[in-house]
Amino acid sequence: MLALHEVQTEFRRAILTVDTDTFCALIAADGLAPEERLGVYRNNIVASLTAVLRETFPPVCRLVEEQFFAYAAHEFICRHPPECAVLAEYGGRFPDFLAASAPCRELVYLADVARLEGLMKVAANAAHADPIAAMTLGDVAAEDAQRLTLQLHPSFGFVASRWPIDRIWRANRPEAAAEATIDLAAGGVWLEVSRADANIVMRSLDCTTFAFRSAVQRGETLERATEAALVTDPAFDLCRALPALFLDGAVIAVNSAQPHAGREPRQ
Amino acid sequence: MIPKAQDARAIPAAIGIGMRTLHFDEIIATRPAIGWLEVHAENYLGGGPAPLRLDTIRQEYPLSLHGVGLSLGSAEGLADDHLRRLRTLIARTEPFLVSEHLSWSITGDAYLNDLLPLPYTEESLDIVVANVAKAQAALGRRLLVENPASYLRYRHSTIPEPDFLGELVRRSGCGLLCDVNNIFVTCGNLDLNAEAYLEALPAAAVGEIHIAGHSRVMRGSQSLVIDDHGSPVAPPVWDLYCRALKRFGLVPSLVEWDNNLPPLTQLLDEAWKAERAAPATVDCDACAA
Repeated sequence: MLALHEVQTEFRRAILTVDTDTFCALIAADGLAPEERLGVYRNNIVASLTAVLRETFPPVCRLVEEQFFAYAAHEFICRHPPECAVLAEYGGRFPDFLAASAPCRELVYLADVARLEGLMKVAANAAHADPIAAMTLGDVAAEDAQRLTLQLHPSFGFVASRWPIDRIWRANRPEAAAEATIDLAAGGVWLEVSRADANIVMRSLDCTTFAFRSAVQRGETLERATEAALVTDPAFDLCRALPALFLDGAVIAVNSAQPHAGREPRQ
Repeated sequence: MIPKAQDARAIPAAIGIGMRTLHFDEIIATRPAIGWLEVHAENYLGGGPAPLRLDTIRQEYPLSLHGVGLSLGSAEGLADDHLRRLRTLIARTEPFLVSEHLSWSITGDAYLNDLLPLPYTEESLDIVVANVAKAQAALGRRLLVENPASYLRYRHSTIPEPDFLGELVRRSGCGLLCDVNNIFVTCGNLDLNAEAYLEALPAAAVGEIHIAGHSRVMRGSQSLVIDDHGSPVAPPVWDLYCRALKRFGLVPSLVEWDNNLPPLTQLLDEAWKAERAAPATVDCDACAA
């Protein structure tokens, strides 16, 4: 007799792979093939997770054939089942899965569109947090400000693409008018996604602002975020970029980074 | 020892409905005369507008939190993060009932989003008792544990499901959520007697009843009953519900409808049908005692 942990491991294997023999041997037939009984659970799991992916990535659904989406969703579910019971948080790895999927390589922009949709879902489900005002920095010396990190509102996300994925996304929303023509050579985009009240906001940034804000979101110090921005614009001015970030309601906390080696922390 | 017992029988018995997002605006606008509302806890453990909707609902109706993801039957124990988030939601919404299922869904860091069946063995009983005790301690609440809808039976099960539930109640101090549609589904699929199942449950522990619709699918010459919550409550389930009321008294009852969601008025019709069934089948003096 298998211990419960082994039973559950075999159940998982039988749901997510074609290797069902060990688990089916545990099931009483009672007039019906064990595989048929197992199939009820497998269908429930795959159908409901596919529905979650469809709801999360509607333009991706429109960009590929229905049959392919169902196939890709099934493959993704079997390789990357949810890690927790809050299904609103499921699907974060789907864009990378699409990017690595051979049939998707012809649709070069598909994974980036999926990344944009993923950020929108994160923004929609982000926890509530109150932005803070820039005056919070008022008592920080300029030299120390360089070592600060900012915590952005959890709804903020950033995605850059070589393709005009904002226009592709708009044209493929379920409610969009059909057949817009989009020039893929129109150039890349640097996008910021956030939530204002209950509304999801997508903004197109210049590449320098994108470099700065996405570095801040990754937890880089203001000094390093500034360095990232200076790569694309030697005239980048932190004294302008920082207040703009606060005015956009993006900052919810200011944290002191580790002091440089050899210096005492500020009391 | 239960940290803070919630005696469901202290709540005025009434009929509730499952609150689904599509009905939210209409419920707030029309405020139908329904006793209480139940939501799936996992739909409100994230951020965004969902918890705010729940705050609005909570001002108008008593609320029951019905969990589907705690995985009380997991051999590897409960997820601490899930418990923490559930505890936060309970503190925020102050539900009059908190319920979960006799099932499992988590193994090896994978959440298999269904209510998966357990082998009913002494080992499973020890694990579920420990998990329920941990959950009740962490949440500061008595849990109601629901009998699952099952499509398979393990060869090595040694304990009948209602006996397993009875022993779980005795050892953990939890209550029971008796889903009469699940009894109908399980007994139909596993060739068991639904009335005998109902009679074997410990009546004093039942703090809530669920009723719902089901469907049938053919697999060769054999049919399977599917607990899909996508249609009106079937006549044999109404009969079983009346039997349950006679046995358990006027405990809070809920009409579940999750798929093929009907207009709110149709769902309320089902609830009022349940409301009318209660006085006709129950000796109310006996229930109040």
